[in-house]
Amino acid sequence: MKKSSFFAIAAIAALALSGCSDSGATPSSTNTGDADAPAELTPVTIGVIPIADTAAVWLGKDKGFFEEEGIDLTIETASGGAAIVPAVVAGDYQFGFSNVLSLMVAAENLPLQIVSAAVATTGDTSKDMGAVITKADSGISDPADLAGKTVSSNSIGNINDTTVRDVVDGAGADSSTIEFVEVPFPEAIAAVENDQVDAAFVVEPFVTSAVEAGLNVVTYAYADFDPKLDIAAYFAKNDVDADLLEKFQTAMKKSLEFATDNPDEVRRIIGTYTQTPPEVLEKITLPLFPTEVNRSALEKLAKAAQDYGVLSKTPDFDALLP
Amino acid sequence: MTTLTAPKAAERVRSAALRGPVLGVVGVVGFLVLWELASRIGLIDPRFFPPASEVLIRLGEYLLDRAFWRDVAATMWAWFLGLAIAIVAGAVLGFLIGASRFLERFTQSTIEFLRPIPSVALVPLAVLLFGTKVQSELLLIVYASIWQVLLQVVYGTKDVDPVADATAKSYGLNLWQRIRYVVWPTTLPYLMTGIRLAASVALILAITAEMIIQTPGLGKQIILTREGGAATSMYALILATGLIGVLINLVMRFIERRVLAWHQSVRMEVAG
Repeated sequence: MKKSSFFAIAAIAALALSGCSDSGATPSSTNTGDADAPAELTPVTIGVIPIADTAAVWLGKDKGFFEEEGIDLTIETASGGAAIVPAVVAGDYQFGFSNVLSLMVAAENLPLQIVSAAVATTGDTSKDMGAVITKADSGISDPADLAGKTVSSNSIGNINDTTVRDVVDGAGADSSTIEFVEVPFPEAIAAVENDQVDAAFVVEPFVTSAVEAGLNVVTYAYADFDPKLDIAAYFAKNDVDADLLEKFQTAMKKSLEFATDNPDEVRRIIGTYTQTPPEVLEKITLPLFPTEVNRSALEKLAKAAQDYGVLSKTPDFDALLP
Repeated sequence: MTTLTAPKAAERVRSAALRGPVLGVVGVVGFLVLWELASRIGLIDPRFFPPASEVLIRLGEYLLDRAFWRDVAATMWAWFLGLAIAIVAGAVLGFLIGASRFLERFTQSTIEFLRPIPSVALVPLAVLLFGTKVQSELLLIVYASIWQVLLQVVYGTKDVDPVADATAKSYGLNLWQRIRYVVWPTTLPYLMTGIRLAASVALILAITAEMIIQTPGLGKQIILTREGGAATSMYALILATGLIGVLINLVMRFIERRVLAWHQSVRMEVAG
């Protein structure tokens, strides 16, 4: 009796499942599973963070740009660069994605090099994908007002607090009086509204959410720091196979150009690997997807990072950059 | 006399059996109403903590979505594999250690040192060894749940009635027969308790590993919805993990009753 009812439930469940929709399914035109891939494709794994910044590489895979170069690309996701760097060093991933400052810090001790640009600020100091937000009545109206205040970011000793400090110092205030605290981006708006922090650094989609909730933007810190600043880059080990590197760079360049020319495709692809609701995705500010890393902006970032003790020495840019 | 009291007792059992579920349902509904109210009257900001009704509707949508079931399958597969490894390894080690006073003394301090290390603290080691592959998740699950099984089995082997053991010896039972007819029946209830505890712990660690290491499964989806600012979806997934936990506990209790139907602890429960 019990057994038969169990099987009945199982059968009903199976029937119900077969009637389900499938939100995670890849469109059939672009989905060429591993089994269909020609035998001569080289299997390559890249570790990325599932955020808007990596849209180009997902688009490149989706559009077959990597296949055209003979690469069968597997995209692995991690919640942060902290898991990607060791995996690249260990050889589990051939390529990885990381913000440029973390990469410079890692490259001090590890044999890593930047192989491709990934994502950069819009350069628009009134509309960017990263911003310091505050309550409308906080009395903080420009970067100099941040001095002596509590400001949150997702991690400290990184590109976000470094650019914010530089912008504050550039406005004539003393950024060393800012107390930085760690609050993850998803909880930052609540932290500002509940007065746990005076201001918070957030990235999209939370910049859009914050502005819609009536919060003020103090500074679009990336763009204010340098309108040509690369936020993150793709990297590999120094001894990566030269032939593979060239193929990867060609495919990556195509992907970045495609992303630049097709913002609607960028928004569509972000919806496939993040869980950002579609109505929010329509509104977020997209970053730029440049094909070249801007060296002078990175040198400026490295200098600021050294001033603030994030980086111990000037990186060897000739070796680090592609 | 007995014929008169028997129906009454049965009635009492039946009403008690009814009262349990009814109270349980009232409790759940009460909780949901409180949640709904807290969000609706603005006690907590509905943008960050949506009302129960919206979360339940989202959960309903998930139940019709095959991508959701793939994530459930990934989580449950890791849970099952990790639990199976922990049960087999924990039981074998437990019987070995329990059977030898030397081994017990030899391993005790090591076990007492390793056991309190929270499995989550091993995330860096897991990522170093296996990257973001499912093996990382298994390492955390096995490490957390093996102790529940191992220690219960060791306790179980200690609980063997010396008189029964002496009796078995005097009746000329050999070592294998004594294990089969004396040690095993004594230890089995302990083993089942260990498995039930391990099953819950394994689910906790499966979700945790998916959230931190981003191995595929419900935990990873919770983080993705969080980072996408999709609070309703996130709480729907959190609710789903809770329901899986309840289901696992129910199934484990059912198996325990079946396996130990002959044991007095279960027989007493049924009688009382």
